Amino acid sequence: MRYFFTLMLLLVPILGVWTFVEADRWQLWFPQNVSSFGGEIDGLFNLILYMVGFTFIVTELALAWFVFKFSANRPGKAVFTHGSHKLEMIWTAIPAVALLFIAFSQMETWAKVKFESNFPKGGKYTKERPIAELWASQFDWRVCYPGDDGAIGTADDLERSYEFVVPVNTDIVFHLRSRDVIHSFFVPEFRLKQDALPGHTIPVWFRAEKEGIYDLVCAELCGWGHYKMSGRMTVVSQAEFDKRMADIKAEWFSNGKEQGQ
Amino acid sequence: MSLRLPLCAVFGLALWVSACQLDKDQKPARGVVHYSLSSATTALGDDGEPVISASAQAGIAGSLEMLFGTPQAPSYQLLPEWKDEGFNPNWPQFAKGDNGSGEVDPAALRADNQIYWRRQLAAIDAGLWERVFVQDFAPDLVTQWKQLCAETPVEARNDEFKKAAREAFENHYPDLAASSELYRQQCLHCHGPEGGGNGPTAPFLNPRPRDYRHGTFKFTAVGKAQPRRADLYRILDEGVTGTSMPSFRRFSQAQLHGLVDYVRLLSMRGMVERSLVATYTEEETLTAGDTIDAYAEVWEKWQKADSKVLNFDGAVPAPTAESIAHGRTLFMDAKTGNCFSCHGPEGRGDGTSAFVLNPETHKVVPAYKDDWGNEILPRNLRLGVFRGGRRPIDIYRRIKYGIAGGPMPEAASSLSSDDIWHLVHYVGSLSERTQHKAAAAHADHAAGAHSDGASGEKH
Repeated sequence: MRYFFTLMLLLVPILGVWTFVEADRWQLWFPQNVSSFGGEIDGLFNLILYMVGFTFIVTELALAWFVFKFSANRPGKAVFTHGSHKLEMIWTAIPAVALLFIAFSQMETWAKVKFESNFPKGGKYTKERPIAELWASQFDWRVCYPGDDGAIGTADDLERSYEFVVPVNTDIVFHLRSRDVIHSFFVPEFRLKQDALPGHTIPVWFRAEKEGIYDLVCAELCGWGHYKMSGRMTVVSQAEFDKRMADIKAEWFSNGKEQGQ
Repeated sequence: MSLRLPLCAVFGLALWVSACQLDKDQKPARGVVHYSLSSATTALGDDGEPVISASAQAGIAGSLEMLFGTPQAPSYQLLPEWKDEGFNPNWPQFAKGDNGSGEVDPAALRADNQIYWRRQLAAIDAGLWERVFVQDFAPDLVTQWKQLCAETPVEARNDEFKKAAREAFENHYPDLAASSELYRQQCLHCHGPEGGGNGPTAPFLNPRPRDYRHGTFKFTAVGKAQPRRADLYRILDEGVTGTSMPSFRRFSQAQLHGLVDYVRLLSMRGMVERSLVATYTEEETLTAGDTIDAYAEVWEKWQKADSKVLNFDGAVPAPTAESIAHGRTLFMDAKTGNCFSCHGPEGRGDGTSAFVLNPETHKVVPAYKDDWGNEILPRNLRLGVFRGGRRPIDIYRRIKYGIAGGPMPEAASSLSSDDIWHLVHYVGSLSERTQHKAAAAHADHAAGAHSDGASGEKH
């Protein structure tokens, strides 16, 4: 029986590690990374994964070993012990150091992605002149591009639902807003997640380095229709972006006759 | 102790067997379901008896099923004269257009299918058959794909097979039954199985979901007539801002056009039902001829939708300061625009005519109800949220032709289209966030004009 349970417990770290090794092949691992800071985020994830993975394997092996060694049919009487100051100090200090290490190692990336003072400067889009305003509402995404005046909140704004088109290899800054409740902007391929709070205008930046169509989802349970709240993040070349903007503008100021709408 | 291991083994085996059973892709068989009659048809009179006799109700239900089929097998009854025209609304209209309204562009649908099914097409090209995953949003395509796979074993899948598979995805256009299934997955929980706006989530929504059965749709380009396919498509594509109707562009254009087809069927079914009930209430009897007449009449209304489109010829004018100022004058003038009486002098949707005092509760309540019996408030024009769309042409249509089913009237005939554009520009300027302060100051300045206008209305 002790062999059976020891083997069962050994299966946990073996299968656990195997799952991670095979995950990529079964497409259970990360979606591709297309943003400039995505690599750093993945690096942080992997750092923690390795730390936790190491601890997991060590503790699981120890558990299996203890089950094997101290099984019920071991001769002799069990000994009662109570407390070891030294041991407690060690298992408090090691996690504390580990947590501090994690906390300090992520600071730079966090600041780069989230601090407004670190937003890309000198580009076409800045905190003050964002590419668009992205409105989250129950239960869809609407993008409001500035019109010719370049300012949002004026009568010539262009509005489209669902699809957020941005140019590739450009520092994009947009304003995230919510009409009703808390939503969360999440594009897995960008490794970017940001809550949208009603009453707040939250600037967000990213730089997409590969053209393509990516899913934009709401990552905050926002009501009964949360599962419906999807959008599309389309990254295109600058020329294609200009063409798309011209199309949106033409549609916006059309007399409704050409497009039949 | 000795029993534990065999028990575990037996239990594990049982779990494994049941999991294998589930995996067999067996869906529970569903019984045949029928559309229900509307609550207006089955209503009870004061005496507790149904207003329309039980036998007449059964007759109406039977006629409707003959004309429109069931939720699982929706299909239109074909009228004899359609044979000559070659018109068959039951036929999936990919690459064919629709005699009723021909805006479906096969090339655009094909291009969109290529984007929508891009993952599947890439998997087919790469020969990764197990990665071709079709969600049951497209039940007809699931069937088609499974059939294709069953016909050709994996070893025999050559370029010929790839071409056929590609074409199945690229040419996908759902038939009415497939669209009905998509409707039941995505729309039913608000709009109800018959499109009565009475699905399970409907009571939680404000505004309430549209009841299609009147055949009235608010945000169209045809005034108060039945909408074109393009009008319904636009609603699915863009959603209705400020309501719970989201954009459904995550589905392919073909699927959305299919949904439009199905919504049209539900709407026609509701209209025929209402027409039959009206005939019965009047004549106390119903004949087969009445049914076909009502059906043909309703079809005519929908087929004529395209000819009813109200377009503005010419370019949309750009707003100027003079135009906005003139728009404001019209907005505040009781004889021409008279917008302020409902929308309020500042466009905040708080005009005096839109509210009445309830003498019993002493509370101010909305004065108007829409065709569906819901209380309705004038739009607050300051929020920049326009349900029918914020494009200039959308606002132009709302002002000029009014909103079907609600109290928003058509513009007075004395207003020229230039005047309407002045109003559009003024309304657009109201929702400019950067100019709120300036506009508020302007409104204070014009407060005197408001009281003049209100007294003018009373005379």
